[in-house]
Amino acid sequence: MADNRMTMIVGVLALCVLTTTRGTGPDRRQLSMHLIPNTSSVPHDGDLLHVRAVGNNDTLHFLFCSLGAPTLLLVHTDTPNSTVEVNWTDFVARNSSSSLKVEPESSVQYSGAVVFSRLIEYDDVNDTATPTSDVFPPYNLHDFIWAPLNLSDFTALLCGAAPTFTNGSLCLKLSAFESEGRGQSLPHLLHSVNSSQLDVWLDGVLPRAPQSRFLLELQAVGGAYPLSRVNVRQSIDDEFTPSIFKVSEWVSSSNGSSDVLGFLQWKPVAYRKPCPILEDATPVCHSGPHPQMAVGNSSTLILGFFSAPQTIGLNLSFGLAGEQFYNKTRYLMWTMLMGVGPPPVDSFSSLVIGIMAVGLGIPIVLLLVGGVAVCVHKRRKAAVVSYQPIN
Amino acid sequence: MVDSEERRSLLGDEDEGRQAPGGPERPRSACCDPSHVLHRVVVLVFMCFLGFGSYFCYDNPAALQSQMMQDMKLSTQTFMQLYAWYSWPNVVLCFFGGFLLDRVFGIRLGTIIFSSFVCVGQVIFALGGLANKFWLMEAGRFVFGIGGESLAVAQNTYAVNWFKGKELNLVFGLQLSMARLGSTVNMNIMGWVYNGVADAVGSHGPTTLGWSLMIAGVTCVFSLICALVLAFLDKRAERILQKEEGKTGEVIKITDVKDFPITLWLIFIICVGYYVAVFPFIGLGQLFFIEKFGFSPTQARAVNSIVYIISAPASPVLGFIVDKTGRNVVWVIIAVFATLIAHMMLAFTFWNPWIAMSLLGVSYSLLACALWPMVAYVVPEHQLGTAYGFMQSIQNLGLAIIAIAAGAILDSRGYLVLEVFFCACVCIALMAVVMLYFVDYLRGGDLNRSAADRAKLQKEVSSDAE
Repeated sequence: MADNRMTMIVGVLALCVLTTTRGTGPDRRQLSMHLIPNTSSVPHDGDLLHVRAVGNNDTLHFLFCSLGAPTLLLVHTDTPNSTVEVNWTDFVARNSSSSLKVEPESSVQYSGAVVFSRLIEYDDVNDTATPTSDVFPPYNLHDFIWAPLNLSDFTALLCGAAPTFTNGSLCLKLSAFESEGRGQSLPHLLHSVNSSQLDVWLDGVLPRAPQSRFLLELQAVGGAYPLSRVNVRQSIDDEFTPSIFKVSEWVSSSNGSSDVLGFLQWKPVAYRKPCPILEDATPVCHSGPHPQMAVGNSSTLILGFFSAPQTIGLNLSFGLAGEQFYNKTRYLMWTMLMGVGPPPVDSFSSLVIGIMAVGLGIPIVLLLVGGVAVCVHKRRKAAVVSYQPIN
Repeated sequence: MVDSEERRSLLGDEDEGRQAPGGPERPRSACCDPSHVLHRVVVLVFMCFLGFGSYFCYDNPAALQSQMMQDMKLSTQTFMQLYAWYSWPNVVLCFFGGFLLDRVFGIRLGTIIFSSFVCVGQVIFALGGLANKFWLMEAGRFVFGIGGESLAVAQNTYAVNWFKGKELNLVFGLQLSMARLGSTVNMNIMGWVYNGVADAVGSHGPTTLGWSLMIAGVTCVFSLICALVLAFLDKRAERILQKEEGKTGEVIKITDVKDFPITLWLIFIICVGYYVAVFPFIGLGQLFFIEKFGFSPTQARAVNSIVYIISAPASPVLGFIVDKTGRNVVWVIIAVFATLIAHMMLAFTFWNPWIAMSLLGVSYSLLACALWPMVAYVVPEHQLGTAYGFMQSIQNLGLAIIAIAAGAILDSRGYLVLEVFFCACVCIALMAVVMLYFVDYLRGGDLNRSAADRAKLQKEVSSDAE
């Protein structure tokens, strides 16, 4: 409720003054991307991508790994000179929890990771969208065969398929940003320089039942401050994601304060076609977060970086009762942002503010002008002396 | 559906009707005697249900929006074409409706013809669903539109003919209430009808949609039967009482348009700016309430229909108040401002939409009672027909265009921008009414007089004439 009122007050103020919330930090970052190891002579059946986003006085390291379950690790350091050191043989052998280190270690402010662990399919015979029974054996993403990472200007595309897929694939696309902006296609998420965007889509996979629906399981791993709770914010502004009025944020905060250290942000919508329009939207629900046993041996990156990881799981289910089944289009796409600091907040576009200002302003101006004209008119009439008849 | 009802109440009072009782004295039972009030009550019942079918079926798309969009695979913009095609024929037909009823067909045959158009249009609309052809549905709405508006004119003419000088205002009020009842019933039961048909057919799809629309078409058949019965009773009364066939009394001369004063053009702008922010909004309202406020489909349809539910009792009451107090321009300002508040509430807050929609219902009724009579104060009587015809015509033109625009805006930019767009339309109406107030005031105006002043003026004029 406080969120509602807050949003409303922000909206009203925005009519008078253009308010934008900016995180504290630089407006631009310098990005550099490289694969570890950077020679193809070393055999490996997965990739580790390091994206370094350098700001004025801090650095964000994004590490995206396809060895085992796909994992995105985010490390925030308070110096622009920090680097990532990897002992590749130890890393691949998974026998050390410090085979991947961020130097200098004392500069690390925040570290958190998200692991895409399982894709669960269930047969929704009664069209209720609750996966209680008729759940098929889940696809474990660490068993998938991943193609090599496809890199192109600050985006990385990872596609893979389970051994049991006849055709079709699950793809993840990581995009890093130099400056604030908005996603190219629906849901047009607003990203800050402190965040990266991850698109996940399922394309052409054969469902095991005509009425099956999917669930995606995410696991958030953190050291000191893991992602602990999901806030669902209501927003009156659906300009960029038509008909979606909510934003979900999975945040981690330190015990005392309400400052957000790291977040996962998404809109509760997924799309059923590659270049979606409004009609292709399908709702997304989340259940959780709930603590889980250690990620174990599913993600190499977690094993190599965290010594005592805390794991919290979240399930995202695609589709509600009455919505179309996956089999109709055999395509599902969902987008999320992962970053540090407070999550980005949408504000009104200048179009909306302009229209309201003009629309309300002109009648007020007319009232004033008309009021003045009426006063002048009355004054003029009073000036004319009226003669009284004598009898 | 547009408010020809409210404006006709003005014309009706000014018509000179003639009834010549007489003819051979023969004892007749009360309800078969055309001059007896009980017979007129019977006729009133048929007259009220004459319009029920067309008002019921007009808002079928709004009541079945999500089903229609899913079954026929429509974007919002194509969906709104169904409303646009209803309005297109009326851009032209508003000028000719009266002429056709008076000179070409006569009231009885004319009513039957227009009622058949309504019926046939709805059947074609339903066939489009059964055959899964959207162009056929659009054609059906076009045919439906040809009949719908002119049927309202015919209904009013019947009322004037039978109830002139007696209970005319009450009859107009009842007809309006029946019309709103039809819209309300449609909003609330079509969902169940669709689900019932889906259970019978076994799946959702264009076939289910087609059969639901066919069932809705039964109300149009019912209205057609009422038209036939009314024609019979009217012919019989004409024979027995030897009264004349009803006439609309409208004379349309297109050349009168150049004589319209600026105040009339401002009234046109208010009319267009206001109604395009109400009817297309109700057309798209159901999904808005489901998506933004998390209502269930049944709740969403109920809150969407509240505008009509309120306007049924509120219109006579507010009409009475406006009649007693005068000062039409001030009432219009209040109504437009209240609608602006309602739209801003829906756009910028998450407050319970029942509040905003109830406010919208009251202000919509208030505007209808205060705006349409103003035309009669601004143009001389012999131009009244042309003025009203023109007003209806551009209102339909505005509705057709804005319906499509609203769908396009929603598809590309979402509900907030759509609501801001509607607010902008209401702001245009607000600008026009503010200007109207000042123009009228500076010309020593007539529009904003209180009822007492008007009565005094009337007395002076008639005493001068003696």
